Amino acid sequence: MQTAEFLIDIGRYYLYAGGAVAVLFLVIGIERVEPSAQESYAFRPLLIPGICLIWPLVLYRWFHLEREKEAEE
Amino acid sequence: MSVQYMPVLWNRNKIFYDAVLLIAVGLYLFVFIRVAPAFEDVSKPIDGAILRMRAFGSCAFLMLTIILCIGPLARLDRRFLPLLYNRRHFGVLTAGIAAVHANYVLGWYFNFSPTDKYAALLSSNTSYGQVLGFPFESLGIAALLILFVLAATSHDFWLSFLGAPIWKALHMSIYAAYAFVVLHVAFGALQGPADPIFTGVVAASVVLVCGLHFMTGRMEAARERGEETAKASLQENGWVVAGDLDDIDEDCAKVVTLNEDERVAIFKYDGKLSAITNACAHQNGPLGEGKVLWGCITCPWHGYQYNLADGRAPAPFTEKISTYRLKLIGSTVLLDPNALPPGTHVDPVEIGGAA
Ligand code: HEM
Ligand code: FES
Repeated sequence: MQTAEFLIDIGRYYLYAGGAVAVLFLVIGIERVEPSAQESYAFRPLLIPGICLIWPLVLYRWFHLEREKEAEE
Repeated sequence: MSVQYMPVLWNRNKIFYDAVLLIAVGLYLFVFIRVAPAFEDVSKPIDGAILRMRAFGSCAFLMLTIILCIGPLARLDRRFLPLLYNRRHFGVLTAGIAAVHANYVLGWYFNFSPTDKYAALLSSNTSYGQVLGFPFESLGIAALLILFVLAATSHDFWLSFLGAPIWKALHMSIYAAYAFVVLHVAFGALQGPADPIFTGVVAASVVLVCGLHFMTGRMEAARERGEETAKASLQENGWVVAGDLDDIDEDCAKVVTLNEDERVAIFKYDGKLSAITNACAHQNGPLGEGKVLWGCITCPWHGYQYNLADGRAPAPFTEKISTYRLKLIGSTVLLDPNALPPGTHVDPVEIGGAA
């Protein structure tokens, strides 16, 4: 039982962290790294579940794309 | 200007596809819930919630099977291609149906559990060391998590944001999900009282999915070997590899340098390929930097025009330039480096016809 509760807690905190990343990314990040997303807002909420689930990958790509942008400038 | 993202892109075909999909799923669930009780063992009647749980579980399993068959089928026969393009909504719906199945399980078996439902599910059976009575639910959970991730990352945005290699690798995990589901069923439902119909369906699904992948794999290996030999024999005859079809943008050219003062421009236009010398007959202007219009190339320097198929300027002009022969093998463009006399007609290579 304890293991199960522990696993579920981990899952819960993982999703909370994902929620925080989703807010950050949709408000700040997406316009910076994805030009096609500029001025389209309707589709953004659709991305929330995905960000919550794979937020470490989202952060990794965000960081990577920012660095690429810097290198171009 | 780039295309803006929309929540969902629908067109007539996709609406039709989605409608058929929804009707088929609805019919399956309806028939299952109506008809299955007729086959059941009268001494062990099953409850409505369990019946619905099974209806949704088997529906998700069949949908997953179909999804995995569409890929190889489309490679075997192009007529299946439309199914491939619309697979996305199919996948999202599958995840949804599987979620309903899992939700019935939670609601039915663990609703009255004094502890958290999810914790109860995870801890009700932890005998991971045994085959009979293996906690098959955890395999279902693993599959469901994968399906959720795939459904949640199916929007075009994700393909562009993650980049094709990462996105493809991520979506390859659909095979892991399928394996988990097969094991989930093999350790779960199939361990119960023998049910020949369902056992048959699961076995058929595994044979179908594995068989189709095996077949397309062999077919493609054979095709690749054929292409390799064709390429090698052309190269023996002096032809050169000019590059990949995808390197050439539509209505533009790729310029291949044969030697110091011989360059060839290979154009892609109207689903065809043609090669002409890169040097304009007027003052050696770079034809490969021009754009194609109506099968004609216009020199970027002073506007002379040439037909790509024969290197002749349209009447009343009389300029002629050299043409070259091309072959398309797979997606590789090969070029005969021997220039043909100026104005020689060469049938353009049809891009679709190569396959
Ligand atoms: C949280 C995830 C899941 C849980 C807790 C779960 C749980 C269960 C349970 C308790 C059964 C009953 C087995 C029996 O009747 O003996 C079952 C059966 C089944 N599950 Fe799942 N499952 C999950 C996910 C999935 C997924 C993702 C799929 C397919 C995509 C799936 C497909 C099936 C099928 C085909 C059956 C057999 C139904 C039948 O007896 O006709 N399950 N599952
Ligand atoms: S060089 Fe091509 S038109 Fe003058």
